[in-house]
Amino acid sequence: MTGPVPARRTSPRVVLVHTATFRQARQFIPYAIPALAAIGLGGGRWTVVGLVVAITLISLATAALSWWRFSYLDGPGAVVVTRGLVSRSVRTVPNDRIRGVEVEAPPLHRLLGLVRLRIDAAAGGSGGAGKDEEVLIDGVPRAEGDRLRTAVLSSRGRVPAPEDPEAPAPEEAEEEFARFDNRWLLYAPLVGGYVAVPLAAVGALSRVVDEVPDGVLPDVDGPTIDSPAGALAVVGVALVLLALGAVIGAAIVNWRFRLVRRGGSLVAVRGLLTRRHTELEIDRIRGVAVADGAGMRLVGAARVNGLVTGLGDAQRRGQLLPLGPRAEAERLSRRLVDDPGPLVRHPAAARRRRIARAVTGGLLVTAAGAVLTATAGWWPLLVAGVVLTVLGVPLGLGRYASLGHATGPRSFAVRVGWLVREQAVLERRAVVGWQVKQSWFQRRGGLASVVACVGAGRGGYIALDMAADEVARFAVAASEPWAEQLVPLTPPAVQRDDRRRPPSPWSVLPHGGRCGWTLDDQGTRAQRRTAELSAGRPSPPRCR
Amino acid sequence: MTTAPSPVREPAWSLPRSAIGLWLTESLISAAITAAVVIALLIWVPSDLGGPMAFLRWAVPFVAALEALVSIFVRPWFKHRVYRWEITAAAIYTRTGWLSQTWTLVPVSRIQTVDVTRGLLQQVFGLATVAVFTASSQGTVRIWHLEHGMAQRVADDLAARAEQTRDQAT
Repeated sequence: MTGPVPARRTSPRVVLVHTATFRQARQFIPYAIPALAAIGLGGGRWTVVGLVVAITLISLATAALSWWRFSYLDGPGAVVVTRGLVSRSVRTVPNDRIRGVEVEAPPLHRLLGLVRLRIDAAAGGSGGAGKDEEVLIDGVPRAEGDRLRTAVLSSRGRVPAPEDPEAPAPEEAEEEFARFDNRWLLYAPLVGGYVAVPLAAVGALSRVVDEVPDGVLPDVDGPTIDSPAGALAVVGVALVLLALGAVIGAAIVNWRFRLVRRGGSLVAVRGLLTRRHTELEIDRIRGVAVADGAGMRLVGAARVNGLVTGLGDAQRRGQLLPLGPRAEAERLSRRLVDDPGPLVRHPAAARRRRIARAVTGGLLVTAAGAVLTATAGWWPLLVAGVVLTVLGVPLGLGRYASLGHATGPRSFAVRVGWLVREQAVLERRAVVGWQVKQSWFQRRGGLASVVACVGAGRGGYIALDMAADEVARFAVAASEPWAEQLVPLTPPAVQRDDRRRPPSPWSVLPHGGRCGWTLDDQGTRAQRRTAELSAGRPSPPRCR
Repeated sequence: MTTAPSPVREPAWSLPRSAIGLWLTESLISAAITAAVVIALLIWVPSDLGGPMAFLRWAVPFVAALEALVSIFVRPWFKHRVYRWEITAAAIYTRTGWLSQTWTLVPVSRIQTVDVTRGLLQQVFGLATVAVFTASSQGTVRIWHLEHGMAQRVADDLAARAEQTRDQAT
């Protein structure tokens, strides 16, 4: 605290890691490929060896350079990171803008006893938190990583005033919120995200194979499949491999997942190869999203994401339960946010609308098919259209069954989706705005959709096709008093009462010398009500 | 417009009449562009291509003409009836859209930034848009096409009040 603290460096061992992973050299690949193409691979084995040596040397040099040029400093008020090979960049992140620190240890780092810190800083402005709002300190020894994490997090703007006596104790009492059971890995083949892992791997492999010049690959004839039984067997084996890949993928990411509360933070630790250590401030958790896709519902599985304000890369970092039984997910969700009670179903008009929308695509295909059948005698499209239309009905019913909303004393919930069903449970204070949408069809059906805008998670959570006359009540019950603005002036008595034209904006908004908020008694009833409600707020600004 | 009651209250203030002129101009410009594309299609795409071409040759101009008629003779006035806004002691409240309508309510205490923007056409008509941003990517309110002086006043007022009442619970 006293005197200038010398800037710290990362461990030199990180040069090894970066050399091996081509971390810095990777950016030269776009230039290297045309260069390689120009030189050609004609020289045989020695050229290849030479190339490998050259690339490794380049990688070593760049890694060493960037290690040499990188330094960081966790001062009392801010973290300062200096880096840059040619042009120096100095990044200062004030401590009170730091929203979280993630410590991760990829396999090579673990071998050398190093960790990587990601310091997540609040993106200013409109919530489009970009990845560039992240400071990476790569390759500090594990102990230094832990020290830095605690130092940065504990010196953050809001001082834990009331609990200060206990706060200095480095190891606070831990409370376990969730622990991964390896049996839950069996759910993985039913989760889209994990099934995508082996598929992506196959995709990447085939791309690599495509890149390799033809002459290098051994000329293997693919096995030929003639019989339907053979084809079936191939499909079966592929499915088994896919499921296995999903389980392995889930295991790599979620191995020994644990969620614990430590002081005012939730700490999630996970990963088989790369150990990740994510810390979320409980104060910033505004709600949770419990997601269960169609496949997961079959086996009663679910996942829980925390909706945290100002969290970059929230999909990954906000995960509080990556995969688990529904009961566990609900228990965790109730522990973090008050349960708003059972969901209220949406009106029958919502069911009609869901079905109509699910069937529309099929009907269009059917119509096109009918035209084709009549003009060209080509019927398969007609059949496909009819099948799609028929399938649309259960899809619409399923989507309708998902719809629901609930309001409790301190929280509310909305649920939507069929293939990926998601129930968001949010605190009332989370809402930073309401958006009510009504299309022409919704207006005819007496429906409206309401989006609760929140500064966390996806930014907005929709209650689809709610009864139109319930909208205002829901909004008022699910947020703070300002939402009263939405309540329609009850017809017809009040409307006759307030027959006078509403005041023009020119007369209400502050102007010139008469600065500040003026609400003359011409104000509509709703305005007066708000004025009363907000009486407790600080008085409006006045001009000097 | 319709008999069904609106789900939420109607904001108090309508936009200046010059907004109609702006929308009309926008419609005219887009109709002109569409017409140019359609004419190009009719001239350069041979009519004997077969397939759905014969059908498209009359369907595309028909749809384009219909769209142009509605957007020029109906939509600007319709929009002027739908677009409304209001600033109260606690919140900003707008309604936008035409066939599909959107009401947006954002409390002053959750405002993060306020912008005034003036597009090229808006400058011709002396109009400006006030954009109010919150912590939510979906919770942005835009008050379209206010008179420029009004927009500036709204923005100043909101920014000053947001500074006073901002609370930390984004």
